[in-house]
Amino acid sequence: MLGGGIFIEQKCKGVDILQAAKKLTKEDIIELESKPKSKLEIILDYVISFLPVIFGVIHILEYVLMPNHGFNKSTNVYAYFIGLLTFITFIYYIVGLFKKNVFAKVRYKAPLYSFIFLLLTVYDYLTLKTGILMLPYFPWVDRIINAAWSDRAYLLDCIKNSVILLFTGYFIGAGIGIVTGILCGYSKKVNYWISPFLKLLGPIPSTTWIPIVMVLVASLFKGAVFIIALGVWFSVTLSTMTGIRNVDKSFFAAAKTLGAKDAELVTKIALPAALPNIFQGLIQGMSSACTALLVAEMLGVESGLGWYINWQKSWAEFSKMYAAIIIICIIFITVNWILTKMKKTVLKWQEVD
Amino acid sequence: MAGGGLVDREKITLKLKNVSKSFLSSNESKGITVALEDINLDIKDGEFISIVGPSGCGKSTLLRLIAGLIPTTQGTIELNGKPIEGTSPNRGMVFQDPTLFPWLTVEENVAFSLKILGKYKEKKDQVDRLINMVGLNDFRDSYPHQLSGGMAQRVALIRTMINEPEVFLLDEPLGALDAFTRMNMQDELLSMWSSNKHIMIMVTHDVDEAIYMSTRVVTMAPRPGRIKKIIEIDLPYPRDRMSDKFIEYRKEIMTNLNFK
Repeated sequence: MLGGGIFIEQKCKGVDILQAAKKLTKEDIIELESKPKSKLEIILDYVISFLPVIFGVIHILEYVLMPNHGFNKSTNVYAYFIGLLTFITFIYYIVGLFKKNVFAKVRYKAPLYSFIFLLLTVYDYLTLKTGILMLPYFPWVDRIINAAWSDRAYLLDCIKNSVILLFTGYFIGAGIGIVTGILCGYSKKVNYWISPFLKLLGPIPSTTWIPIVMVLVASLFKGAVFIIALGVWFSVTLSTMTGIRNVDKSFFAAAKTLGAKDAELVTKIALPAALPNIFQGLIQGMSSACTALLVAEMLGVESGLGWYINWQKSWAEFSKMYAAIIIICIIFITVNWILTKMKKTVLKWQEVD
Repeated sequence: MAGGGLVDREKITLKLKNVSKSFLSSNESKGITVALEDINLDIKDGEFISIVGPSGCGKSTLLRLIAGLIPTTQGTIELNGKPIEGTSPNRGMVFQDPTLFPWLTVEENVAFSLKILGKYKEKKDQVDRLINMVGLNDFRDSYPHQLSGGMAQRVALIRTMINEPEVFLLDEPLGALDAFTRMNMQDELLSMWSSNKHIMIMVTHDVDEAIYMSTRVVTMAPRPGRIKKIIEIDLPYPRDRMSDKFIEYRKEIMTNLNFK
């Protein structure tokens, strides 16, 4: 295996350079331009890339073979879970042996993944195996997974409610925000009326209004939507306005001489030119929406993950509480990931670096 | 019509009558700046006019007035006997910076005007023809930041050219290019002009460029901006930059601009 790697390396330096420059990939260029690696360094790269698999296996062995502390109970679910993760890292390693760009990624991520496996091992050792960290505050991961699974129907319901609430508020706030942002950036009259309120209300976190809104509003859901939308509206309006104002005036001049009328100047010039700013506002707005969602659910709305966390805590069901926290974490990461991907696709015209 | 060429159409005329332009200074105590004073100019079909002069003489302002980007303070500008009103794709303008829309590809930039005017379907092949003409076929799906300065300016040229404007305004379009790209672009502009014979009005700092390209050279003086002299260039195309006559014209214009 190792010999093969070195052989590929040499072949690349010699033969491939002669081929058309267009066929070079990014990895080829990085490799061709970097200092040649010594044999030891190359071997080290392969070893480090394999580390996550080793740490994964160690963790499984620790979990399965070591006796539990006292009356601590564990199932095989966690072992399968870690086994699956280890298997995935192993597959990546194998693919990396044949594909250079995959190998570069595997090598880059390997230390981090190894460290995560190590952390999980240490945590498992401190809780399940020795009881140094005590129940109920520190349940082991296997216990959290089983708690989540046993309460899955209800958890799913809570996830559904949270996601619906989050996106209802988010889309309302973002939609109105883009419109008011464009109007404020474009028209001095609108700006005259909206800007003072923006300046006055902007610095106040939208969650401040929760107590009063929950009293005033007919349904708690509507109240929470309002709170979430308010925060999103603020950051999207502000960023859109800034974006529109900073559009290069020469774009408007050029578009006018090409036949664009006022409406087209907004839709075809101002809006696309302001998109980078708008996206910045959308991403910022999402983080404020997530905060508002959780606070609203913890203070008033009687459903959703925030409420679930509070409720389970009051019953000292810490395993379920942790499960909900992990789920929230996964949801927010996914949403942000989608937003970032969208941004990259929509703004592919932007200069990189 | 799509093929360009010498189209039988009404003679184009552009008349500037007693045109003045004043700007309000941002600093009110300084009052008013007179950018242009009493400009009179008659331009006929198929003329290539160059405007030269020191900075601050209002060359660019004059182009912007004709483009309709800013209103005149006094006087009128008439195209084919009718006073102009605002901007129109019939008076195309190319700026010193290419001002390509960075969110559109080369092809989309060129097609921008057609799409806005609702002519994209009937004139789609024009987009291909023009992109081919300036040799950017391999870059049609590239975004502006991926182009060199010369390539971007060529795209800017054909983006305006696609409307076949009767008046083509060029505000130092080659100013930012290196000498070699610049000379190539001069020839490209000339061939474009000779195939369509619309009115070209170009602002430039480069006296040689003005003589090389235009039928008439207008020299201007600053503060307030006014026309000093109009010099007819009586040389056949393509012109020889080294010929005696060419050098004589250069001397005449330089002297007129107070350079010796």
